[in-house]
Amino acid sequence: MREALPAHKPWFAASIWEWIFTTDHKKIGIMYGVTSTLFFIVGGLMALGMRLELFNPGAQYVKPETYNWFLTVHGTVILLWWAIGIWASFANFLIPLMIGARDVAFPRLNALGYWMFFAASVIALLTFIPGNQIMTMWTGYPPLASTEGIGFAGQTALFVFIWHLTGFASIAGAVNFITTVIMMRQPGIGFFNLNLFIHGIMAANVIQLLGVPSVAGAVTMLFLDTYLKTSFFDPSRGGDPVLYQNLFWFYSHPAVYVMVLPGFGIISEVVSAFARKPIFGYRSMAIAIWAIALVGFMVWTHHMFVSGIPDWVKILMSYTTLLIAVPTGIKIFNWVATLYRAAILYKTPMLYALGAIFMFLIGGLTGIPLGIPAFDVAVHDSYFVVGHFHYVLGMAVTLAAFAGFFYWWPKVTGKMYSEGLGKVSFWLVMLGSNVLYFAQLIVGIWGMPRRYYDYPPIESWIELHHLQTYGAFVLAFGILLALVSLIKGAISGEKAPDNPWMSNSLEWRLPSPPPPHNFDEPPKVEEDYCPHGYCKF
Amino acid sequence: MKFLVFLLLAGLAFAGEADVNVLARPHDLWEVIYKIWLVIAVVIYIVVAVPSLYFMIKYRFKPNEREVGDQEHEGHWGLEALWTIVPLIIVLYLATHGFALFTQMRKPPENAMELKVTAFAWGWMFQYPNGKMVIAQAIKDTEDKKCKPDECYSVDGVFQNYAYIPAGVPIKAVLTSQDVIHSFYVQPAGVTQDMVPGRTTYTWFQINKPGEYWVFCREYCGQWHSRMFAKLKVVPKEEFEKWLKGEVASLEDKAFKIVKNNRAQEVVR
Ligand code: HEM
Ligand SMILES: [Cu+2]
Ligand SMILES: [Cu+2]
Repeated sequence: MREALPAHKPWFAASIWEWIFTTDHKKIGIMYGVTSTLFFIVGGLMALGMRLELFNPGAQYVKPETYNWFLTVHGTVILLWWAIGIWASFANFLIPLMIGARDVAFPRLNALGYWMFFAASVIALLTFIPGNQIMTMWTGYPPLASTEGIGFAGQTALFVFIWHLTGFASIAGAVNFITTVIMMRQPGIGFFNLNLFIHGIMAANVIQLLGVPSVAGAVTMLFLDTYLKTSFFDPSRGGDPVLYQNLFWFYSHPAVYVMVLPGFGIISEVVSAFARKPIFGYRSMAIAIWAIALVGFMVWTHHMFVSGIPDWVKILMSYTTLLIAVPTGIKIFNWVATLYRAAILYKTPMLYALGAIFMFLIGGLTGIPLGIPAFDVAVHDSYFVVGHFHYVLGMAVTLAAFAGFFYWWPKVTGKMYSEGLGKVSFWLVMLGSNVLYFAQLIVGIWGMPRRYYDYPPIESWIELHHLQTYGAFVLAFGILLALVSLIKGAISGEKAPDNPWMSNSLEWRLPSPPPPHNFDEPPKVEEDYCPHGYCKF
Repeated sequence: MKFLVFLLLAGLAFAGEADVNVLARPHDLWEVIYKIWLVIAVVIYIVVAVPSLYFMIKYRFKPNEREVGDQEHEGHWGLEALWTIVPLIIVLYLATHGFALFTQMRKPPENAMELKVTAFAWGWMFQYPNGKMVIAQAIKDTEDKKCKPDECYSVDGVFQNYAYIPAGVPIKAVLTSQDVIHSFYVQPAGVTQDMVPGRTTYTWFQINKPGEYWVFCREYCGQWHSRMFAKLKVVPKEEFEKWLKGEVASLEDKAFKIVKNNRAQEVVR
C-alpha cells in the first residue's frame, strides 16, 4: 500500500520552490504555457487599444508614440512569446510522453532555456516604464532603429536583448528537443510512426538551430551601430541598410514555419482522433512538413520585393515562394481526405482544429499573390499583408494552439474542460476574427498602408475600420470564454478518464494527470504502432 | 508535359497589352494577375470547402451506428500525386505569368519624364527635369492630441502637400531618401517602391485622368509615418507645361476645383 501512494500524486503537486528549481519537463512546459498565454493576453489587449484608435480617422485617444509602441510590443510579444513560445510549452509537456521517455535529454539546459525566455519577457515588460518604449516595430529596420532623433525608435537596446534572450532560449530548446527525439524514443517508434506533432516540432527546431544565429548577428550589428557607432548599416559611412533586411528575414521568414508547423502537427493529432480514423497519407504529411522547412530557407526576399534588390532575385524567390504552396496544399487535401468515411465527433478541440484548417486555407490563398512580385508591388506593406498574416497566425496558429489546449487539457489537469462554453467560444472567435481579418484584406486591396496610427478620412476605408474594431471585440470576448472554459474545467470540471478521446498515442496510456515520473516502466510499443491509427488501441 | 510547357508559354505570351484608356498604369497589368488570382483562389476554396462540408455532415459520429471511421482508408498514392501535381502546375503558371507582367512593370516607357523624388521624415521633395522643386510635407501636429479628422490633414480644408503631374505622360520616379527608409506608393497606379538612403531605386507610373490622387509612405519611418502622404494633382499636359516653365504660379483654380472638405472617396475608387 505504501509504495502505491506516490503513483497517485499528480505531476503538479509541488511547492513553489520545487516549481522554481524544477527540471521536470512537465512543469517547465506549463511555465512556458502560462508565460506565453499571459503575453498573448497582453498583446491582445494592446491590439484592442490599436483598434480603438483606428476606429475613426484622426488622432483620437493616444499619441503616435503610444500607438507605435503598442504595435511594436503587439508584434514582438505575440510572435516570440505566443506563436513561437507556446509550442515550447506543448513540446516540453508532450514529447517525452509521446515517445515514452521519463524526461527530456538535457533537463537543466531546458530549465535554463525557460528562464532565459522569462528574462526576455521581463525586458518586454520594462518597455512599459515611461521613456523605455520601443517603437522599432518587431522588425527593427535600421537606419530608423539605429539613429537617434529622426522618427525616434525608442530604446533599441531593449529590442536587441529581447531577441538575444529569446534566441538563446530557442537554441537551448532546439538542441534539447532534437536530441530527445533522436535518442530517447522507445524501440519501435521510428521516423515513419512518430506523432505528426513531433515531426512539426522537430522541423521547427531544426529551423531554429539554423536560423536564429542569422538574426542574432543582425541585431548584434544593429546594437553596435546604435551605441558604438559602427557602420554596418549606416549608408552615410559605407554601410547598407538592406543587408540587415537580408540577415533578418533569412531567419524571420523560416520563423513563420516555426510558428505554423507544430500547429499543423496538432491539427493532424486532433483531426485523426476525432474523425476516429488514421490520418490520410501519413507519409506525405510527414514529408510535406520537412519539405516546407527546407524550402522555407530559400524564399526570404519575398519580404523585400520593393526594397531595391535586383529584379532577378525577386523572380527567383517568387518561384521558390510559390513552390511552398505545394506541400502546404498536400497537407490541406490530406486533412480533407481524412474526413472521408470518418465518424466525426464534434467536440471543442475538433471544432478548433477544423476552424484552423479553413482559416489556414484563406491564409495560404492570400499568401500566394504576395509571392508574385507583379501583384505584391501594389499591396506591399498594406493591410492586405496584415490580413494575410493574421489569417495564418492570428487564426490558424492560434486556433491550433487552442485546439491543443482543449485536446490535452484532460491529460494535463486531470479534469474535463467545460464543453458548452468551449463551443460557444469557438463560434465567437470564428465570427469575430473573420470580420476583423477579412476587412483587413479588403481595405488593403484598396490601398490602406500598414503600420498607420491614423489614416485620411476616406469613406470606404472608415467603414472597414469600424468593422475591424467590432470584430476585434467579438474575437476578444470569444478568447475570454475559451479561457474561462478551460480554467473552470481545471477547477471544477469532471474528472477526466485516462483516454477520453480513445487515441492510440502513448501519452494517453498514462493516468490523467500523469504521475511525476511519467511511466512506471517503459511503455510497450506494439509491432504496428501508429499514433494516428485510432482503432488499433 | 507538353501541356505544362504550353501553359508556361501562354503565361509569357499574354503578359497584358498596354492600354491607354485605363485610369493609371501599370495598374492595368496588376489587374490582370489580380483577376487570375481571384478566380483561382475562389475555385480552390470551393474545391476544398464543398467536399469537406459534405464529409463533415455525412460522416458524423452516430451512436451505435457510426462510431469509428474506416480504418483501412489511410492513404492513396494516386490521389496524393494528383494534388501534388495539379497545384504544382498552377503555381508554376502563376509565377511565370507574374514574371512576364513584372518585367513590363519594371520597364519604364521610352518617353517617360524623369521625376527625382527624395524622401525625408516626413515628406517628399519632387524635382522636375528642368530643376524645379516642390516639397510635399506632412502636416504634423505633435502638440494637439485631439484634432478633428479634417484638421489633421489640411489647413483651412485645403491640402498643403501636393505635387503637379501631367496627365497621360509616363513618369519614371527616381527615388532615394535623406534619412531613414521610406517608400513611395502611388495609389491609383498600384506601385510601391522603397526609398533607401544611400541607394537609388526607381518605379514608373502614368495617370491618364486629371484629378487628385494619393501618394503614401508605406515603409514604417517613425513617429509620423502615418501622416506621410501627399497628393498628386494630375493636370492636362499643357497646363502642366505652363506651370513647369513658371508662367503660372499655381494651377489651383483652373484645372480642378479645390477640395473643400477633403472627402476624397471619388478619387479613390
Ligand atoms: C485580438 C486580436 C488581434 C487584433 C485586434 C490584432 C490587430 C492588429 C493590428 C491593428 C495590427 C496593426 C496593423 C498596422 O497598424 O499595421 C496588428 C499587427 C500585427 N499583429 Fe495582430 N491582432 C490580433 C491578434 C494577433 C495574433 C493572434 C497574432 C499572431 C499570432 C498577431 C500578429 C501580428 C503581427 C505580427 C503584427 C505586425 C506587427 C508589425 O507590423 O510590426 N496579431 N494586429
Ligand atoms: Cu516615410
Ligand atoms: Cu513611412
